[in-house]
Amino acid sequence: MKTPRWKVWAGHATLLVLSAAALLPFVWMVGTSLKADAEVFSPRLEFLPSRPVWENYPRALAYIPFARYALNTLIVAVFSAAGVTLASSLVAYSFSRLKWPGRDAVFFLLLSTLMLPAQVTMLPVFVVFKTLGWVGTFKPLIVPSFFGSAFFIFLLRQFFMTIPQELSDAARMDGAGELDIWRRVMLPLSRPALTTVALFTFMGAWNDFLGPLMYLNDDTMYTLSLGLQQFVTQHGAQWNLLMAASVVMTLPIILLWFLGQRTFVQGVTLTGVKG
Amino acid sequence: MKRRELLKLGAAALTAGALGGCGSKRSAREVLLRYWTGWTGHELQVQRELIAEFNRSHPGIRVKILCVAGSYQKVPIAIAGGDTPDVCSAVWADQLYGYASRGALTPLDGYLARWGRSLNEWMPGVRRMLRYNGRTFALSTTANSNFIAYNRRIFAECGLDPDRPPQTIEELEEAAERTTLRDSRGNYIRYGLRPGGLQIWARVFGGDWYDEENGAITADHPGNVAALAWLQRWFKRYDIRKMETFEAGFGSLEASTGAFYTGKTAMWQTGEWAGENIRRYAPHLDWGYFPLPAPPGGRKNCVQLGGSVFVMPAACRHKDEAFEFLSWICGQYASRRFCREIHNIPPLIEAAQAPEFQSIPLMRDAIRLAGGENAFGPAPVAVWPMYQREIQRAEDRAIHGGGRPAELLKEVQRRVQREFEEAKRYAVF
Amino acid sequence: MRSSERRRSLRALAAGLAFASPWLIGFAIFTAYPICASLYYSFTRYDTLSAPHWVGAQNYVRLMTEDELFWKSLRNTLFMVAFGLPASLAAGLALALLLNMRLRGMALYRTVFYIPSIVPTVASAVLWMWLLNPQIGLINRLLAKAGIQGPGWLTDPVWAKPALILMGLWGVGGSMIIYLAGLQDVPRELYEAAEIDGAGGVARFRHVTIPMLSPVIFFNLVMGLIGTFQYFTQVYVMTQGGPQDATLFYALHLFNRAFTDLQFGYASAMAWILFAITVAATALVFRTSARWVYYPGEMRQ
Repeated sequence: MKTPRWKVWAGHATLLVLSAAALLPFVWMVGTSLKADAEVFSPRLEFLPSRPVWENYPRALAYIPFARYALNTLIVAVFSAAGVTLASSLVAYSFSRLKWPGRDAVFFLLLSTLMLPAQVTMLPVFVVFKTLGWVGTFKPLIVPSFFGSAFFIFLLRQFFMTIPQELSDAARMDGAGELDIWRRVMLPLSRPALTTVALFTFMGAWNDFLGPLMYLNDDTMYTLSLGLQQFVTQHGAQWNLLMAASVVMTLPIILLWFLGQRTFVQGVTLTGVKG
Repeated sequence: MKRRELLKLGAAALTAGALGGCGSKRSAREVLLRYWTGWTGHELQVQRELIAEFNRSHPGIRVKILCVAGSYQKVPIAIAGGDTPDVCSAVWADQLYGYASRGALTPLDGYLARWGRSLNEWMPGVRRMLRYNGRTFALSTTANSNFIAYNRRIFAECGLDPDRPPQTIEELEEAAERTTLRDSRGNYIRYGLRPGGLQIWARVFGGDWYDEENGAITADHPGNVAALAWLQRWFKRYDIRKMETFEAGFGSLEASTGAFYTGKTAMWQTGEWAGENIRRYAPHLDWGYFPLPAPPGGRKNCVQLGGSVFVMPAACRHKDEAFEFLSWICGQYASRRFCREIHNIPPLIEAAQAPEFQSIPLMRDAIRLAGGENAFGPAPVAVWPMYQREIQRAEDRAIHGGGRPAELLKEVQRRVQREFEEAKRYAVF
Repeated sequence: MRSSERRRSLRALAAGLAFASPWLIGFAIFTAYPICASLYYSFTRYDTLSAPHWVGAQNYVRLMTEDELFWKSLRNTLFMVAFGLPASLAAGLALALLLNMRLRGMALYRTVFYIPSIVPTVASAVLWMWLLNPQIGLINRLLAKAGIQGPGWLTDPVWAKPALILMGLWGVGGSMIIYLAGLQDVPRELYEAAEIDGAGGVARFRHVTIPMLSPVIFFNLVMGLIGTFQYFTQVYVMTQGGPQDATLFYALHLFNRAFTDLQFGYASAMAWILFAITVAATALVFRTSARWVYYPGEMRQ
């Protein structure tokens, strides 16, 4: 079933036009990052500099301990992504494929934890971590990931519920336990969803500002988002350097998504199950 | 499953723990002080250098600096969670009284006396700003001033004497009128001035936000009303919509395209920090400055003091050492060096007399203004942040043509009064 | 018979709890106390710097009878829920459908459309204030080319919220990805079967795509609802509630009361009111979901 010619052209045309709009923010970021100090806010609001100042990049990267901050951020982000993906998929299995008394009530409780604004829970959460003695370490930023995240548990639950029940039943009849079903049936069929969870968690941790600010008390442990603050002073900001640092910061995410979306392939394994 | 999960948990905890426990090495008898600051960039760098110097010259005390800029939440949550720093300059003067009244800060009078220092070292306005309810709660190492900068060339072109800038409100209004230029469709090519900040103009017009003698909020003081009415008239006369449309085309004041630098405005209400900006972005600009003019019966040379202040949280565990540092960083030497490097003015009278400040006319005049009798800090009430926000809202509404000044300020009075009364009941100081 | 049934149901409970245990334990350690604490704070006067004082329902009463900013901020937030949320949902879905076509270079396109949502907030804020500049911003310049006089956007109380909604459309990259992941799960032979049955593009969309995507649409709707009620970051960075309170959203007013005014108890009461509203709205969505959300994994007829 090949897509008709006109659809291909229409598709490309629409996508190109929309892409131009979508790329505006990024083009502006890169453009500003290459502007000379005096040019950043020209009255005519140009996107691109008259002459690219490539030195802004080494300057920005030297302004803060970029490599160390990047390493710190990487540690937090990778562990968070791993923890959330693992734990959330386990918990989501319980809410989607297992029937147990009280399941739906507990699920709504889980969902409701997302409905209380973080501004007010921020303080007692800090108290919890202080009591545990974790303030001043990376622990508050990493350890909770291994207990799952309500947002992603909900997401994965939705995905798991779209997988036909017969697949689990067949595996059960072959003598597989729940954990095997989880590992051998649910996970392989949920690659796009799991990729999404891992990527979003990574990105969230990578860009997180308040968490690290709240719990880190040593600036050798600071993350990139805290480092970006250095470009913002009481009298204004060094926009070109800030943008340069921001561009470098977003590159890993872009790369991760570009690589990760290869798992977004139409599921062929759902075929061949006759009812 | 559980075993694998536990293993993973263990690995993570170990890693995180290993990474998280970045303690600092210190000798057994050295006191480690945690100092948090909201300064970033160049200012932070100078602070680091000063601290290195302090650490070298004060064996037995080691100060560790941490930049916590970027949020209002870190300090209150840290204090509430029991994780306080020993010295903190991430506190604005506007927040000081709220913190002080709630018992979060250590009163410093006893320490000042023991260290042989006195608040009289500081400029009178700053001195008042650092105190709340009869006690000193903060020290400061920087000060600021306010004035109106003007473009001498434009003045001359418009028939105004560049050597005799406005000294009264009428002269200010006239100067603004004469320097305003419109095109054939009535849109601005240049306007005279955008006056701003009801907080300061209220004082200029003889108003006040708080009556210290009677302990009363005075948001609807006639002077305040007069100031708001004046601002409202100004923005009506110059059509704020047209002004804002014009302003939308302004370049940033941190580039050579700033409106004042390129003659889009004849005057600019600002402070001494403008000097550094102009020097950097518009070095050939022929400009001058004059203090805020006052109406008859008003206050001349008003300055609104503010900025960062240094406090010692009440939960500090090494108060003597912390004050040693506090006193040093807000002392003559450190203040002088810090202000020189970041182009501020010192709040200490003696430091301000140093040649590096007095030899620059702008700094010299700024110091005189900041040290004058009409230099005010925020109103010394615990609810000041909320009060300030209400004042801004009233100003925002009035200048956009909505509401009568007297009524708007009565509304502010009502809302703030309620909050203020209640705050008194729970005040520690 | 009954005892074996009970054994089975106990085993089911054990399995269910075992798999859910990471979250349950995490909830017990990290979440339960903060939730209870914030409920407690809502009945106190608490400034975070000294101990809380019990004041009963005073915060709630004050909020609803004396604070006009409470109502204003609530109205502003409901505006976003009513207009901003549908716009974002539709845009995300439309984009995902577009990006699900089998065209060359799709990997590149998908990356391009994801990029706007990962631009850091600070950069994004400055960019948008710049784009929406009434005089020289790109948007009004484009409108001028079409002969339209653009509005004041963020400087105009009437246009500020629409400006934010417009800005929000650039951030649909996240929900778009979720839709895309969902679209991968739509079995191709369903489309083929529908085509054989003579269904055209639109019919295929309505009868195959939407039902198969409904679990994911449901997810984005619920999370979008929860998120929109707490809309905060953009206005904190860009407008601080202006012009003239037009963008004073509920979460911003809450933040001001909590950390600027140090009225943490009052803010906690605000949080719990928002919680109640969100729970009600979400419960409503759940109740209607039985009618339009289709889980192929469950319906086996």
